[in-house]
Amino acid sequence: MAALLRGLRAGRLLRGLSSVVAAPTSTTLQCSSLRRGFHCAALRLKDESKSEKHSASSSYSSSAAVPPTDLTYCAFVVNYYSGFAQSDQEQDEEYETEEQLQARILTAALEFVPLHGWSMEAISAGAEAVGLSSASTGMFTNGAGDLVLHFISQCNSNLTEILAEQHNQVQLGQVEPKKTADFLRDAVETRLRMYIPYMESWPQAMSILLLPHNIPDSLKHLSTMVDDIWYYAGDRSTDMNWYTKRAVLTGLYNSTELVMLQDSSPDFQDTWTFLDNRIQDVTNMAVTAKQMQLTGEAVAQGLMGAAVTVSFQGLFFLFNHRIKLL
Amino acid sequence: FTFDHHITAAMMHRMLRVDHAGEYGANRIYAGQMAVLGRSRTGPLIQQMWDQEKKHLSKFNEILAENRVRPTALLPLWNLSGFVLGASTALLGKEGAMACTVAVEESISEHYNSQIRALMESDPERYTELLQVIKEFRDDEMDHHDTGLEHDAESLPGYWLLKNAIQLGCKAAIYVSQRV
Repeated sequence: MAALLRGLRAGRLLRGLSSVVAAPTSTTLQCSSLRRGFHCAALRLKDESKSEKHSASSSYSSSAAVPPTDLTYCAFVVNYYSGFAQSDQEQDEEYETEEQLQARILTAALEFVPLHGWSMEAISAGAEAVGLSSASTGMFTNGAGDLVLHFISQCNSNLTEILAEQHNQVQLGQVEPKKTADFLRDAVETRLRMYIPYMESWPQAMSILLLPHNIPDSLKHLSTMVDDIWYYAGDRSTDMNWYTKRAVLTGLYNSTELVMLQDSSPDFQDTWTFLDNRIQDVTNMAVTAKQMQLTGEAVAQGLMGAAVTVSFQGLFFLFNHRIKLL
Repeated sequence: FTFDHHITAAMMHRMLRVDHAGEYGANRIYAGQMAVLGRSRTGPLIQQMWDQEKKHLSKFNEILAENRVRPTALLPLWNLSGFVLGASTALLGKEGAMACTVAVEESISEHYNSQIRALMESDPERYTELLQVIKEFRDDEMDHHDTGLEHDAESLPGYWLLKNAIQLGCKAAIYVSQRV
């Protein structure tokens, strides 16, 4: 049984290696691609050793120890990487996690989006651009969804960096703090401008984000972005305003994004004008709401005063006329 | 084998969210009690306890803002139901208000105690400041509980029923506020 499992794992290693060797690579890239192939194979080994550690019985003392009687080049790879397989928690500094590898591939794939759209073709092209075989797209079970979500996440990180930098400058006194309306407008504009290089294929990306299995993730990205913008705008509310502010900004962002999709004006001027007008609307609504509240309070006080006056008058009248009534 | 006592950021946010909701609710309960009994002999006593709760609430507002924690979406519900609970128990008289105080403060103290336990089991050094805050608030709530008992809470007819009903409601409120 143990030998069969070892054989299966050796077979998987072989397949990993052969997928690298069989891929068409230029001679200059051959060495680095072979090294990357070992990386991938070792990644799979590491993952398998992790899962086998949990599921295997005590018959496996060291999950990385493949006896030399098996295929020799597998043994070479395994012994070379055996150190990594034993440390579950520690991360070797030069060693890349699967998430980091996926991120690298997806970032490279973004360059091919104008050509291939948001699709597995773009991801394959990206994988090849970083020197891996296009078969490594098997890592991406969600396909184009992974690519779009990765892009969104990258845009959000960029936005957060920009906002944090501006915040620092304000803290240091180098820059005047902006008014909330201006801050929101600039933040939304900065964020939407990141879509401009991909504008032609953006409707495709949006439809991918609307697929049911992608909705939770896309909503999560949207809500963290809106929360970040409000945080850097100075919002520290801990009551229902927390919710209303974020709802308003979400509406602003989504509507502006939709306008941007159909905008053909130079540098998307129409979109930014639309954004300005919506923010103006929101500001007006807030001012009106505040005025209504103050008016309501004044009216209530006035009515209370009137009630007290009328009751005093009534008592006075009764007091004066009680002689006649009696 | 040992359980994992590590507190994730999400767990911490839930703890702070429910604490904030609890102090907010307690505030509204005392407000309801004051609306009814404010001009009676027990007025000053309730006002004193209410002022301490106001301090607790402002501290938690600070903590939430610092840690970027989302407040519970049910705040309007706790606003209304806290006020209604305080006012309706106060309509039963001073003993009713005191019984409500005893029930609520006992629930809150238990809740704070379990949070203190969780933080201590996880990493006392990392959470020293928060532990200090929660311990201080727990002690204040125990004081309120004892004050309620001193002022004849137990002499209310139906005390046992009212106390358990309120504590059941508090447990439900805590459960829901952690999640919504």
